[in-house]
Amino acid sequence: MRESKISKCASLKRLFAASLLAAITVGGTFIANSARAEDGVTDNEILIGALGPLTGATAFVGGPARDGLQLGFEKINAQGGINGRKIKFIFEQAFSPAESVAAAKKLVEDHKVFVLILASGSTGAAAAADYVRASGIPTYNIVGGTPIIRNPFAKNVFHGAITDASKSAESLAELVKDKLKAPRSVGVLAGTYAFPQAELKGVQAHLKGIADKIDLEQFDQGARDYTSQLLAFKKQDAGAVVMLGSFSEAGFAIKQASEMGLSNLVWVLAGTAATDGIIPIISPNIPRDVWSYSFTPFLPGQKAPTMDEFNALWTKRYGAPPAGRPNLYDMIGYGSAFVLAQALNKTGPNLTRDRLIAVWSTLQDAKPSNLGGIDVTYPESFSETDHQGNKVRGQAHIVNGAWVVVPNTNH
Amino acid sequence: MSELIMILVGGVKIGSIYALAALGIVVIHKATRVVNFAQGGLVLLGAYGAYVFIVEMRWPYWMAYVVIPAIVGCVAVLIEIVVLRRMRRGDLFPVVIATIFLGIALSEGYRLSTRAEILSVPSFVSTMPFVIGSVVISPEQLWVTFGALLAAAAGIAIFQHGRVGRSMRAMASNVRGAQLCGYSIDRVYGMTWFLGGALAGYAGVFTAPVRGVSSELAIATVAAAFVAAVIGGFDSLIGAVAGGLILGVSETLAAAYISSAMKSAISFLLLFVVLAIRPQGLFAPKKVRSV
Repeated sequence: MRESKISKCASLKRLFAASLLAAITVGGTFIANSARAEDGVTDNEILIGALGPLTGATAFVGGPARDGLQLGFEKINAQGGINGRKIKFIFEQAFSPAESVAAAKKLVEDHKVFVLILASGSTGAAAAADYVRASGIPTYNIVGGTPIIRNPFAKNVFHGAITDASKSAESLAELVKDKLKAPRSVGVLAGTYAFPQAELKGVQAHLKGIADKIDLEQFDQGARDYTSQLLAFKKQDAGAVVMLGSFSEAGFAIKQASEMGLSNLVWVLAGTAATDGIIPIISPNIPRDVWSYSFTPFLPGQKAPTMDEFNALWTKRYGAPPAGRPNLYDMIGYGSAFVLAQALNKTGPNLTRDRLIAVWSTLQDAKPSNLGGIDVTYPESFSETDHQGNKVRGQAHIVNGAWVVVPNTNH
Repeated sequence: MSELIMILVGGVKIGSIYALAALGIVVIHKATRVVNFAQGGLVLLGAYGAYVFIVEMRWPYWMAYVVIPAIVGCVAVLIEIVVLRRMRRGDLFPVVIATIFLGIALSEGYRLSTRAEILSVPSFVSTMPFVIGSVVISPEQLWVTFGALLAAAAGIAIFQHGRVGRSMRAMASNVRGAQLCGYSIDRVYGMTWFLGGALAGYAGVFTAPVRGVSSELAIATVAAAFVAAVIGGFDSLIGAVAGGLILGVSETLAAAYISSAMKSAISFLLLFVVLAIRPQGLFAPKKVRSV
């Protein structure tokens, strides 16, 4: 009798343990499935994550892009958000390729963002490319020109204001053809890091049909001394120099060229250098011919009512701007926030990643003013096979100490 | 030939700034046995001070060469008194580690406080070049080269011949003996850090128009200065100057005649060669005898 009671007790214990285990398994599965219902979306919030450099040689990209995105999202939230949901924006610092991949994984797998924004320039975009393609998360590459993030095509990856490096390269070659008379001896000064190298092949290819002589010199990221490179151009009697690098690199190259007697060169700069940060570096002897292309209808220091409005908004939010701010990436970040918001808005309240990707691929003429913003970026349009939002580049020139977009030169 | 001359002039200009920064490291090391990895941060402070002085406050340029090094020297003394003095009583290793983090703190503090990507400082002299034959030289190149070397020479003269320098040399030679002769460790170390900081301040003022002011300046400067000090010898002031000039010229020659990628690599190559062949440095003083 006693043995029977003991064995009955043991059986009940076993049954209880088994039931508990089953309940935990079922419940855990249910919870996990519920969490996976759509990461980054709740009844009240949409979680958007971005990564970019806040330190290092390309900090002029990441920090301003973050600030511009923040400014745009705050405006959208102030207007009620997206279909009743507010945007929650988080940013991860990432400078090196390894940091960029780690930041992308952290945002997607730990923070579980709904959309990932690459605000890192070409280095970070190239590094994270394979991961974002494999993850399937809607990804918005707003400032990376590298073809690595574009090829192979991925339906979940969209590109914003900055165009493919090959298209930008075409614009640079066209500027050389336009501003330098034949015979054309052209020097190409390219950084050894991701973005300049992405543009370099295209520049060399397009210049082959235009220039009679091409001399390529390279420099390390952050370089300040270009003695050897400029001497090579002087020896070659170059009439124009195509500079692929940041505004500070371009600025010191131009400054040093003047000091070495190369003051009549036509300078054609990559779009990353078309920012007012270059002006104090090359002042007071600003060369007559400094050209670039622009991904935006205005440039930061340009006198225009649109820019006055944007600068006032930026100053109200962030205080008196330091030298060189707000810059091009503040503007691109701001405009990109509105494009993304329009895609989210159009998707409707039943927000899933697949629906967002499908809707985004049909978005046409998305610009900030559609949602009450300031049009500091060109309108962006997408299709199922073409995810490059902005396709416009205008000519930019330094006039009276500031970059201006030359009217009627868009292509 | 004219191309070679222009490359050498450019290399000597860069090397002069390296020499000034390296000299500050060697001065502090000679007297206190501490390798000051915060030297780059002090150079950045000097460069930023030049920007504030000349661009924001629009004070006379020449005053920057007088006031900024003194201010940076005072900051260096403050670092010695507040942070390092207590740590010094134990092992030297934590002191060296502390200087690494102080350097990082200075550059990060600068980055967080300014939010500007780069600050530009105008040149002290005209940037319009003059031509000698087919050689083009700018007044700025000459000013930076001679100015930096003059400041370095003054620093060496103070250390080698001044009363203050005598106390530093006494400490460098034998701390206990120097104390017995009446020198105060705290006072001598304070003066040493002031001299090292002032040399960093000069390096900053000279470097600001050439490289701009950014947080990357700190790490770029300390790396080059450290290599220059190793090449010349950590116990040789003349060696620090020579090491800086050798490094600057080597970098420019390598970029011109090998490839631009070699510009960074050459400094490490030189470092390995010197450490392998003459680890005490090319200009290390000869030991009379070992006791």
